[in-house]
Amino acid sequence: MIRLLHTADWQIGKCYGQFEPDEAALLAEARFNTVERLAALALERQVDLVLVAGDVFDAQGVSDKTIHRLFYAMRGYAGPWLLIPGNHDAGLAESVWTRAARLAAIPDNVHVCLNAEPLLLETLGVAILPAPLTQRHTYNDLTEWFAGAGTPAGMLRIGLAHGSVQGILAEEIDSANPIAAGRAEQARLDYFALGDWHGAKQVDARTWYSGTPETDRFKANDSGQALLVELAGPGEPAVVTPITTGQYLWQSQTMMLQVASDIDQVLSQLADFDQTDVVKLALSGQTDLAGYRRLQASIAQAQGRARCLQADLSALRLEPTDEDIDAIQADGYLGEVIAELRADQDGAEADVARDALALLAGILDERRARATS
Amino acid sequence: MKLTRIRIEQFKQFRQPFEITGLESGLNLFTGANEAGKSTIVAAIRAAFFERHRSGSVDDLRPWGDASASPSVELEFTIGADTYRLGKRFLGKKRCELQAGPQHLDGVEAEDHLAELLGFQHAGKGVSKAEHWGIPGLLWIQQGSAQDLREPVSHATDHLRSVLNTSLGEIASSGGDEVLAQVETLRNELLTATTGKPRGAYQQALEQAATLEATLRSLDAEIAVYREKVDRLATLRRDHAADEAEQPWTAFRQQEQAAAASLDAIRQVEAALQADRQRAGQIDAQVNLLRGQLDTLASQERAVATRRTALENADKERHANNTLVEQWQSRTQEATDRHTALREALRLARQEATRRDLDRQLDELKRKQETTADALARAETEQAALTALQKKLAETEIDPKNLYTLKAQQSALRELRIRRDTVATRLLFALTDGCRIEIGQESVTGSGDRLLTETTRVTLPGLGQLDITPGGADLAELGRQEQALADSHAALLQQLGLDSPEAAEARHQSHTQHQAEARTATATLKALAPKGIDALRAELTAHDARFGEIEQALARLPAAPENISELPSVSQAEAAEDTARQSLDQINQQLNEARLAAGNAHTAHESATRELATAQAVLDAPDRAARLSAANRNLVDARAEQDSLAERIEARARQVAEANPDLLQQDVERFRASAGQLEKQYAERRDTLMRLEVALQTAGAQGLEERRAEAARDQEQVRRRGDELQRRALALDHLLKLLRDKRAVLTRKLQAPLQKHLNRYLQLLFPHASLGIDENLAPGPLTRPGSNGAETSLFEELSFGAREQMGVISRLAYADLLKEAGRPTLIILDDALVHSDEARLAQMKRLLFDAATRHQILLFTCHPANWRDLGVGARSLEALRARNKAG
Repeated sequence: MIRLLHTADWQIGKCYGQFEPDEAALLAEARFNTVERLAALALERQVDLVLVAGDVFDAQGVSDKTIHRLFYAMRGYAGPWLLIPGNHDAGLAESVWTRAARLAAIPDNVHVCLNAEPLLLETLGVAILPAPLTQRHTYNDLTEWFAGAGTPAGMLRIGLAHGSVQGILAEEIDSANPIAAGRAEQARLDYFALGDWHGAKQVDARTWYSGTPETDRFKANDSGQALLVELAGPGEPAVVTPITTGQYLWQSQTMMLQVASDIDQVLSQLADFDQTDVVKLALSGQTDLAGYRRLQASIAQAQGRARCLQADLSALRLEPTDEDIDAIQADGYLGEVIAELRADQDGAEADVARDALALLAGILDERRARATS
Repeated sequence: MKLTRIRIEQFKQFRQPFEITGLESGLNLFTGANEAGKSTIVAAIRAAFFERHRSGSVDDLRPWGDASASPSVELEFTIGADTYRLGKRFLGKKRCELQAGPQHLDGVEAEDHLAELLGFQHAGKGVSKAEHWGIPGLLWIQQGSAQDLREPVSHATDHLRSVLNTSLGEIASSGGDEVLAQVETLRNELLTATTGKPRGAYQQALEQAATLEATLRSLDAEIAVYREKVDRLATLRRDHAADEAEQPWTAFRQQEQAAAASLDAIRQVEAALQADRQRAGQIDAQVNLLRGQLDTLASQERAVATRRTALENADKERHANNTLVEQWQSRTQEATDRHTALREALRLARQEATRRDLDRQLDELKRKQETTADALARAETEQAALTALQKKLAETEIDPKNLYTLKAQQSALRELRIRRDTVATRLLFALTDGCRIEIGQESVTGSGDRLLTETTRVTLPGLGQLDITPGGADLAELGRQEQALADSHAALLQQLGLDSPEAAEARHQSHTQHQAEARTATATLKALAPKGIDALRAELTAHDARFGEIEQALARLPAAPENISELPSVSQAEAAEDTARQSLDQINQQLNEARLAAGNAHTAHESATRELATAQAVLDAPDRAARLSAANRNLVDARAEQDSLAERIEARARQVAEANPDLLQQDVERFRASAGQLEKQYAERRDTLMRLEVALQTAGAQGLEERRAEAARDQEQVRRRGDELQRRALALDHLLKLLRDKRAVLTRKLQAPLQKHLNRYLQLLFPHASLGIDENLAPGPLTRPGSNGAETSLFEELSFGAREQMGVISRLAYADLLKEAGRPTLIILDDALVHSDEARLAQMKRLLFDAATRHQILLFTCHPANWRDLGVGARSLEALRARNKAG
């Protein structure tokens, strides 16, 4: 019985420009923490080995410090780690791997498979068939040779590759780094560990994408996991258990405000966000100035709680009511200006009109607050 | 508002009470000369309203020099239906009373009521200033200030605006302008005020984005280079591994060696060919040598025959020449004898001719000897005479200057004596016979006279003595002069050795004569002996010597032969001898030629004999036959070798040509170069790989892609901020524009009534013109139709006269506006419009007349004629004062 942990797409060194600098720094840092957690998990579950199916690094040209930090983060698990290069960190003539080797950063228990040849772990009775990417993109199936590769009888055959299994994506997409569907069966693999997709996905009985252990985008579903794989013996079925490893929950929400009570719904949702949430919130529809004020205040509070909260209100139309206008004391020509801006939200320069209206409302609001205090 | 009565007392010019009553509701024209009090009346009205009655700063209202005066003004006026009576007294007995309709007000209360009513303020402290005057400050035009409009309007703006606002209702915004200002501030934080270019944080964000963009581009470039290098590294490694496995240069090295071997073989053939050719050259030379040897042997035999014939000929020649010599020898003897005889005859003829010649010379010489001796004797005589003369000349010589001096002295002395005698005392005496007296040292008798030049004692024997002193003043002086002259005269004579000037003259005469004689003697001597006596003497000696010589020559001549008469003449003898000698010479020459020819023939014969012997000796050499046969044998051998060599050379040359060693050489080089190229390429690639590996290791350590990712992250953040700021800037800009537009619309609406009144007056003055109104309700630019379309000019740019007119019509318009709003209006013009031309003034009068239908107007002027056509009677201030006094 062999127990292994299957993970991939660590994307170490990734930056998050879409967030504010402090938030981006924390998200980048989280990727190292996740590797530490994976090591702890491997130790805790007493796995026999860990498979990392490519894209360990987000880029070849990461700093020496980053290289050292990564391998240091893996120290928690002393058993064998088996890594292959992916498209982001392909095993080129000169690569992040050759640099890591030169820097003597790679511990002895970490094996980077740079050659397409079987790696026999005699003590475990496991033969690893790696398909490392040695070019940034290839249009050949690098797992072609698996079927012809003989391994000692009685050893588990485990494939390790990075790419797109054919037939899963839409036909017209000409994906690089293709992997033939049904490779596990054809090459008599007991388990086929894949990387490249950031969400966890089962391809067939013995073939899985583990997904990235730490979510790095809003659209990846089922990301933030690793796979615990149990193999009773050659030919026996693989028992795969997804385990959550991600620190942050990435959510993208789009809401339309129609009536006054919609605001309350948004506010209650905002109130639920906490420090594990990375949120993209896009609001459309319309609101009066009072609702807009509440929304702004609530967003500001939620931004303090959540790890990251991006709120896009640009599609939200402002509809000042008479009460609004009375409240902010927009008499005389100010009232005319507000009326015109409000009407212009339907015009060619709707964005400008909306922003101008929000600004004017803010200024008047502030004046009123000053006057009352 | 209508002012009905004005009363002034102790006020500036008006010490006495002065009152104007019966003011009309329309135009009221007051005329008066300067100083008549026009401005004082205006000042009184102003003081009554503007100055607090308690003010301590109004001393100037007092009549000049009257410190105790208490200026007072009383005014009566109506506003609407209410009648007002204002009594105000300043300084001394301060007082203010106002009866406003039924209401009676006192002091400050009265004053504040009036201020509210008319629209002005009081000064907090001190004298009232323009800024307090409000509406009346605008409508009451002080002397010479009609053209100043902006300032009075600014002090009345608030009142005018409140009038306008009231007329429009509450459409103005309460805090609009503050909001506008705030929006403008916010907008100007992001955009420049005038051009709307990004600034501040916005500009900074844009610049940062651009900087990061540049960083990104440069990192991208570096990464591209890095990737390209990685790819090259892979390619190079593959090629290197392939080369290492195949070693493609080995084959070329082998081919090179094979080609080199072939080349070596053909090079040996070439060497043999070269040796053959050298040998062939040697054989050719040997054949030529042998042929030469045989030729020499044949020619030796031919030479002996030739020499023999030559010897025979030489012998014949020798014989012929010897015969000829003998013939010429006999002829020579004969000719010699004949020549000897003729030479002796010639000698004798010449001897006798010489003798005759010497005799003749001797005679000649004797004659010359005599002539010369005679000349010499005479010359010596003459020489002696000349010597004597020269001696005399020297003795009689006197310097002509001395002679002249002597004469001059003599004449001067004479003159002095004459003068002395003239001056001297003449002593005439006639003594009795026998008597004797002594005059000075001189003892005289008889009669006579003496000239006394000095004190002279005359001794009269027995009688005593007379001392006579001449009386002439300069007698003594003359005496001294004379003495001095006489002394130098005597000295000169003594020096010359003469006793008188006459003697000097005589000596000079004698000297002159001697000179003439000496010249004659010299000429004579010159004629006798031109070269001197010594030359003459030498000539004579020479003649003597020559005479001796000739005599000796004659003595030496042999004695004359006996047959002297038979002797031929010298010339005959010479001719005969000459002919004989020539004949002898010719014969001798022939003989010599014959002897020479014979000698030559003999020598030629001897030479031919020797040559024959030599040639014969060669032929007779003992080894000659052996040498001849050896030469013939050797020639045959050499020819045989020549033929065989030629064959071998041809064969080898063909072999070399077929092998083409040049091409073989090129093959060697080509294969060697190919191998070298491949080896070099291999080595270079190895070096490149090493360099590339090092470069990539270095570049890799820079973490380029991580840096790029960070830069991209920063750029995205900055760009997002830039976008936000841009949205904000656009929104603020839009908002600001909108606020300004709305505000401008509102302002225009507010100003419309004022504009209406203003235009009404403007059309009368400037048809088709329009006048803008600015923020403060002051007139803005004036637009008039001009020659080039509409022309716009600012109020300040108008001429003084036009500004004055505009000032008046603007005030009339303000008055109309106020009137419409139910405010009291009173217009005062103090000497206004003095700068208007006739036409404009006429228009202004029409305007004023029209305005007077709505407002009371007080018009003060010192030019009554200008305003005669105003339709109202003028009141003369002078007349009013007179009437007040009388009343």
